[in-house]
Amino acid sequence: MTAVVEARGLGKQYHRNWALADCTLSIPAGHVVGLVGPNGAGKTTLLNLATGMLAPTTGAIEVLGARPASGPAQLARVGYLAQDAPVYAGLSVADHLRLGAHLNPGWDGGLARGRIERLGLDPGQKAGSLSGGQRAQLALTLTIAKRPELLILDEPVSSLDPLARREFLQELMEAVADQDLSVVLSSHLISDLERVCDYLIVLVGSRVQVAGPVEELLATHHLLSGPRRDPATLPGGQHVVSASHTDVQTTLLVRTKDPILDPAWTVSEVGLEDLVLAYMSQAAAGGRRRNHLQEVPR
Amino acid sequence: MIWLTWRQFRLQAITAAAALAAFAILLAVTGPHLASLYSAAGIGTCHGGSCGQLASAFLSQLAGPYPTLYLLGVAVIILAPVVIGIFWGAPLIAHEFEARTHYLAWNQSVTRTRWLAVKLALPGLAALAVTEGLSLMQAWWAAPIGRAVGLGGTAGGIARASRFYPLVFATHGITPLGYAAFAFALGVTAGVLIRRTVPAMAVTLAIFAAVQLAMPLWIRPHLFPPVRTTTAIGSDISIAGGGPTANYTLTTFTLPGHPGAWILSSGAVNATGNPVSSFPFCTQAGLRSLSSTMTCLASHGIRVAVTYQPAGRYWAFEWTETAIFLALALALAGYGCWRLARRRS
Amino acid sequence: MIQFHLDGRSGVAPYMQLIHQVRQALRLGLLREGDQLPKVKDVAAGLAINPNTVLKAYRELEYEGLVAARPGVGTFVTGTLSGASLAAHGPLRRDLRQWLSRARQAGLDDESIEALFASTFRSAAEEDIA
Repeated sequence: MTAVVEARGLGKQYHRNWALADCTLSIPAGHVVGLVGPNGAGKTTLLNLATGMLAPTTGAIEVLGARPASGPAQLARVGYLAQDAPVYAGLSVADHLRLGAHLNPGWDGGLARGRIERLGLDPGQKAGSLSGGQRAQLALTLTIAKRPELLILDEPVSSLDPLARREFLQELMEAVADQDLSVVLSSHLISDLERVCDYLIVLVGSRVQVAGPVEELLATHHLLSGPRRDPATLPGGQHVVSASHTDVQTTLLVRTKDPILDPAWTVSEVGLEDLVLAYMSQAAAGGRRRNHLQEVPR
Repeated sequence: MIWLTWRQFRLQAITAAAALAAFAILLAVTGPHLASLYSAAGIGTCHGGSCGQLASAFLSQLAGPYPTLYLLGVAVIILAPVVIGIFWGAPLIAHEFEARTHYLAWNQSVTRTRWLAVKLALPGLAALAVTEGLSLMQAWWAAPIGRAVGLGGTAGGIARASRFYPLVFATHGITPLGYAAFAFALGVTAGVLIRRTVPAMAVTLAIFAAVQLAMPLWIRPHLFPPVRTTTAIGSDISIAGGGPTANYTLTTFTLPGHPGAWILSSGAVNATGNPVSSFPFCTQAGLRSLSSTMTCLASHGIRVAVTYQPAGRYWAFEWTETAIFLALALALAGYGCWRLARRRS
Repeated sequence: MIQFHLDGRSGVAPYMQLIHQVRQALRLGLLREGDQLPKVKDVAAGLAINPNTVLKAYRELEYEGLVAARPGVGTFVTGTLSGASLAAHGPLRRDLRQWLSRARQAGLDDESIEALFASTFRSAAEEDIA
């Protein structure tokens, strides 16, 4: 399967801080990819590098097999929805559709108008007076109607109320089913992504902690609890993600492809949220020891 | 892209059109009367020396709204580039960064370079058209005054306004084009670098004002090598100073035989051509009047050395200065493009 | 046409929940042979879940021989789960009620009954596999 995003040793440095470091990814096509991590971890930086808004300091990134934003044809294949869905406050909803029609050769006007109608947006209303949810839907319509192959969204639902969030994801999933889109969307809450993502990337402390299909991640991560034990004594194929101990008990989150045969362990499955939290807390603990996290300028 | 640029520029364009129309109406209403005043003064059929007197008479009788309108016209043309730079140029890119709409604009199927090129071209051309339009309208309206001054008329404040007078030079000919292009490009580049509208406006105003002060004071006089000559002390000379130390300063604003020349500096020199500033031989108590002082100085071989630019170079100055500003504008626009395409942050 | 719902906190994977609901509908006669299942696009949009999840559920059902996909048209029911098993429901339900009343008389509370049933069910299933 071809990769929609291919990154090799990708890094971005601002002044003395690395917003993103050592990022190597190969995101397959045909998935809804969740990019999850705490604020300041580098999610926006990675997405900006993928859309060509930024140039890398080290390494390289290819999107749909070409350099990001390398020309009008490449720009037409990728849609981007930035955080907080920026729109032109002085232009009306209909003006935004005209904008899309004039600036995109692949524009599907019927699709755009149909969505606007179905969403109940008033075409004559100025975009500045729309609610947050309506703005997000307008921006989503603009990206979908240009008929891209890949859709990149930066924290699209973080500032939306639960109903607007649900409606946004519904619209997004319908477009994915309709147009066979690949999607990369970021969030700092795993709960936003759980239902819609089938591929996950965990980004903490400017580094990729883990990446892979959700099914595989859930199948290869296990929670082991048993008598107090040193994690270093585990077999080599079992990689400890996080460990916690009391005086008599040890609880470990391990990643392994092999079955757990040691009868001393009680093995249970891990939910996606706990899996992500384990990676986030481990990386945060390590990061505190190294250098402080830097908030990325927008 | 043209549609989007027009749609975003619409408000500024309408404002400019309204201002142009108002100015045009004002001039159209008052212009013909001014022209009739000019022809009534009989300057059209004068010969030689009498022309100067007729011209002065015409100029001195201009009362009522005409001097005010003249100054208003000059002010409008002087201010037009500044306004364009601040309100058209500075917000062009800075506003996109402030509202974060550059994320929207740069992820359509248009490259950043093409986006900026069209956004520069449409308002840029409009800026040139508006400024030159204002200048041409003013030139048409003030033609009688200009002709009167050209014939040697010297009366009233307007008459000081030779073609090289800074306010006149900046509002006639083609120099407004250069200023408008420069101000617009300056505003846009400030917006690209600073990314905030109000600070970009302030910086544009400051830099443009500084350049517009520096140009006539220090740069324009030296665009071409000045000509030096000496002239006899005559009625055009003004003398200041005096007293027991007899330190006189001689200055002149016109050069006999060179009407319309641009006097850069003037000063007294003695018979051997060296500058002098004290004239002890002309401090007798008997010299009470200006003319007797001048006769005394002249009899001692004192002349006035004048550094000037010939009137015939007027258009050379116009083209050179306009070219300089246009070149600056293009350089700024190119730099802005390069910075925008760089994708550092 | 049936409508799906998801219980986000049941711990069961979404695609399994969809499969269960289809099977349940077949058992109860809500879905009959020839009926069309909701389109993948509509299920994904209605529940705000990944279309691949729906596709996976429908493929699993097709593998079990319960449904068949007709490209460009939709997915249709081809098999049934009712019939023989429905007929057996009545007596099985009666037996279950008797067992429950016996368990209560023995002093088991709700949690103990559920735990007993769950562990016996699981070990019986394991024995079947082994």
